[in-house]
Amino acid sequence: MAGVPSEFELSTNARDFLIDAFQKFVLGLILTFTLFPIFMMIATSLKSESELYRDGLHLLPSALNVQNYVDMWARFDLVGFFINSLIIAGTTTVICLTVASLAAYAFSRYEFPGKGLFGLTILSTQMIPGVLILIPIFILFLTIQREFGVPMINTYHGIIFIYSTFTVPFAIWMLRGYFDTIPAALEDAARIDGCTRLQALYRIVLPLAMPGIAATGMFVFIIAFNEVLFASAFANDGVTPFAIGIQEFQTNTGTHWTEMMAAATVSSVPLLLIFALFQKQIVSGLTAGSMKQ
Amino acid sequence: MSVSIEQFTQSLRERLTVPSLGFDDDSRFAYWLLLPSIAMMALIHFIPMVWGFVISFMEVNDSTFIDWMNAPISPLKQYSAIFQPNTAVGAEFWSSLVETFLFAFGTTIGVYVLGLTTALLLNKSFRGKLTARTLVLIPYFAPAVATIYIWRMMFTADTGVINELLVWLGVINSTDEMFWLIGNNALISMIVVNVWKNFPFAAIMLYAGLQSIPEQLYEAASIDGASRWATFRYVTLPQLKPVTAVIVLLMIVWSFINFTIPYLLLDKNPENGEVLMLFIYNFAFQNGDYSLGAALSIILLVISMTISYGYYRATMKSSVQGGAV
Repeated sequence: MAGVPSEFELSTNARDFLIDAFQKFVLGLILTFTLFPIFMMIATSLKSESELYRDGLHLLPSALNVQNYVDMWARFDLVGFFINSLIIAGTTTVICLTVASLAAYAFSRYEFPGKGLFGLTILSTQMIPGVLILIPIFILFLTIQREFGVPMINTYHGIIFIYSTFTVPFAIWMLRGYFDTIPAALEDAARIDGCTRLQALYRIVLPLAMPGIAATGMFVFIIAFNEVLFASAFANDGVTPFAIGIQEFQTNTGTHWTEMMAAATVSSVPLLLIFALFQKQIVSGLTAGSMKQ
Repeated sequence: MSVSIEQFTQSLRERLTVPSLGFDDDSRFAYWLLLPSIAMMALIHFIPMVWGFVISFMEVNDSTFIDWMNAPISPLKQYSAIFQPNTAVGAEFWSSLVETFLFAFGTTIGVYVLGLTTALLLNKSFRGKLTARTLVLIPYFAPAVATIYIWRMMFTADTGVINELLVWLGVINSTDEMFWLIGNNALISMIVVNVWKNFPFAAIMLYAGLQSIPEQLYEAASIDGASRWATFRYVTLPQLKPVTAVIVLLMIVWSFINFTIPYLLLDKNPENGEVLMLFIYNFAFQNGDYSLGAALSIILLVISMTISYGYYRATMKSSVQGGAV
């Protein structure tokens, strides 16, 4: 910068200031767009139904009204829906992480014939429209019920098996990124000390990759928590998750928006809390898979 | 004679064992590690996919469903119905396909532009940067079902906050004048929700991409006296190409097969905004015509695979091989 004349520097500073102010303004707009629906969710959950239908623009509730948070539990079995979601999404997360971490480790550490083909095959599952495989899976489950007497439809294990499989490709992709950041020298040392390959994986690599595994697990949990299409076909009648149950706030006579938003707020809090806690790992994990050249 | 058979089996065995000789211990261990994933995907992804393909050439519906193996085989009946404009499905197929494309491209452009803007703004140091980054990511992590219903509530004509805001701003006169969830605006609403949901993903990927650009490139550009715009155009954008490729591809494919947003945001059988996933769902599960649904799904799969492959060939060869899986 030595050669730049000083009057030039001044005007550059003024321009930088304007640009900086403009950038702050745009970022503010984006944050407003991002957070406004969340704000509306909480605000509506604190309104009474009559206040919701009043004319004119009222963003904030006139008084803090927690009645919705009390009433929503009574309308139908909301507690049951939450418990079902926790069982389904929780078990899915454990199974998916177990299976996917093995595969991700293979992709991260070993060269083997067909590696590229396996990778593309796993990636290609992300393009399959859900409705295409829904019917065959339904028939498959019916057949298992009939031939082997094992109930599959409207059971926890049926929907958990489906979700565990759906989430495996994405989990492999993320976990591979984490495993790549762990130096292979540690396993080589363990192998020299007499560990088997599998022992090197679960004694050395898995403990070191724990933050990444936790972040991936959160993604898996969110996907399983939010799935609607397969849940509507395979998880009714006793195992209904929250994603399906919340639709019951829409009745023939209208939608109970205020109670629905209270339920939505309650369902968002745990996920957003976990996200806030694991933010750093989640961000690095999300980006690790795609950043390697 | 027996000698030649022995020679034959010997040579056959050699042929067969040649590849397995290539499988050293490491490869075999890697295959064991992959086995559970592949087995699960075979059961839930690949066999049902082939099965769906088979069903699309038959007449499986509510009445032949349980005994589907004995359903009548009528090759191409479903496919020809889809492509004939005078059938129930053919009459709406093309408009549904067009809406699907508009939904996918609208989403992709919106997500990328907003994501890149956010990433560039976050890619400098200022107070509260970490807070801003965390807040931007919220839509991606909040439960989708809950957030789609928030948008549905906000878009509602008479009581929704969006129309109330427009009245307040003087854009429209009364809140029941503008409809977002039915009519031509349905597609716009779906795109807005999908962009809101997914731009944080693009922003964080592009942010990481920006952070990985070597500082020397910017130093070189500044020594050459490049303007801000020239630096962005000739240094930043080219360096972001691999991550851009990943984002664009994911957004197109995810939009093509998105079911949750149209299903929860719009009415179950909307006149406008009935993208293919919803269209298929209605034909297969409301009308019980599973073979037609399967045939439509196969078409959707072929389209999204063709686009992905074309895009992959055009831009991301190197980045996929090195990066994603």
